[in-house]
Amino acid sequence: MKKKTSISDKTLKLIEQKQIKLIPKWEFVARNWGLWLAFGISLMAGILGTGLSWFGLIDKIITPYWWILVAIIFLILAYFIFEKTKKAYRRPQWQVALMLMVGGLVIGVGLFKIGWANRIDKNLEKNFPYYRQIVPMKLEVWNNPGEGYLSGVIVKINGANNWEIEDFDGKRWTIFGDNILIRGRALIEIGQEIKIIGELRGNSSFEAEEIRPWSGINQTNLKEN
Amino acid sequence: MIDSKICQDLSDNELVALSHEDSRYFYCLMKRYEEKLANYVHRLTYLPDDDVADVVQNSFIQAYSHLNDCDCDLKFSSWLYRIVHNQAINFLKKSKRSLKINIDDSDDEFVEWLVSDENIEKETIRKYFNENVRAILEKLKPDYQEVLLLKFFEEKDYQEISDILQKPMGTVATLLSRAKIQFKEIYEKENKY
Repeated sequence: MKKKTSISDKTLKLIEQKQIKLIPKWEFVARNWGLWLAFGISLMAGILGTGLSWFGLIDKIITPYWWILVAIIFLILAYFIFEKTKKAYRRPQWQVALMLMVGGLVIGVGLFKIGWANRIDKNLEKNFPYYRQIVPMKLEVWNNPGEGYLSGVIVKINGANNWEIEDFDGKRWTIFGDNILIRGRALIEIGQEIKIIGELRGNSSFEAEEIRPWSGINQTNLKEN
Repeated sequence: MIDSKICQDLSDNELVALSHEDSRYFYCLMKRYEEKLANYVHRLTYLPDDDVADVVQNSFIQAYSHLNDCDCDLKFSSWLYRIVHNQAINFLKKSKRSLKINIDDSDDEFVEWLVSDENIEKETIRKYFNENVRAILEKLKPDYQEVLLLKFFEEKDYQEISDILQKPMGTVATLLSRAKIQFKEIYEKENKY
């Protein structure tokens, strides 16, 4: 190594000539915080996905597939972001992956157990118009008048707020109500398939509060089955 | 230039703190590590002297510009070795060369570690390794070569190797143990015929 003693001199000269400056601390701090923030958001989305998947799988009210996908994607993303943080190398990768998986599952199931998954699902439905098209409710939920959910085909229109439907078991229902909220592309016409939220008022009477179109792909498949 | 006597009395961390204000203090750090790092790159890559000097110089410039990102929880030397190691590996990738460890002589501690759990033929194995250690090292997986080089030729402890290679300490221990097994497999294979 003939020239190695001069590396320091050459480097100092280069630093001074090119006026190389220190990268400001805030840039590193911002990057670091950005990483942890992205990790936190991904982890929370992963946990939310797990909770709602569980809600879909156990309570069978919503189709869980979309939330399973969300849980998988965000927990994997959280893993990769964590691996970019400064001290991540000190933990074995399998340990990090396992902790995220177990943590996501435990907290997600916890969310479901305390009823937050159900609440979050309802909030999303209320605040995001297309949410129910992405995460449809299952057919059996809409064939449950005692719980306030009914669905079927309009077979007769008696008046503005009074018509008759035939549910998918072939039973005829009289639907009535005041100030009925008609959502989305729901049409009150004979032959239209609709979903109704309201209250059971007798053996074959149902008071409607809200009408929705029958639009979910999964629901159509379920109905055919 | 800063008086070299002043530099001698200052720790790495003190010099890092002073380098924020005056790049000449960074010169002290460069002087302190220049030879060690050049030797390390030389052993790790088997590159010609000019290329080794380029790798070390680029590492110093990167270290200087990233001083604010210096991880004070770990040793400054580990942080610096990490930068040099990554620069060296990048240099090899860019020039489409593979890692090729270059050691000039055998290391007693290393050979002792290799034969430590051998009960028979201890002396024969020791003699063989002393004569052929370089040739066998070259046949090992790059991961094994890296940890062996840091452990026995740069005399780094497990924590330092972990910080330099950014691998968990358990993985470092596993790599060392596997390197030992592979070393012996090569020995047995070559002495079979």
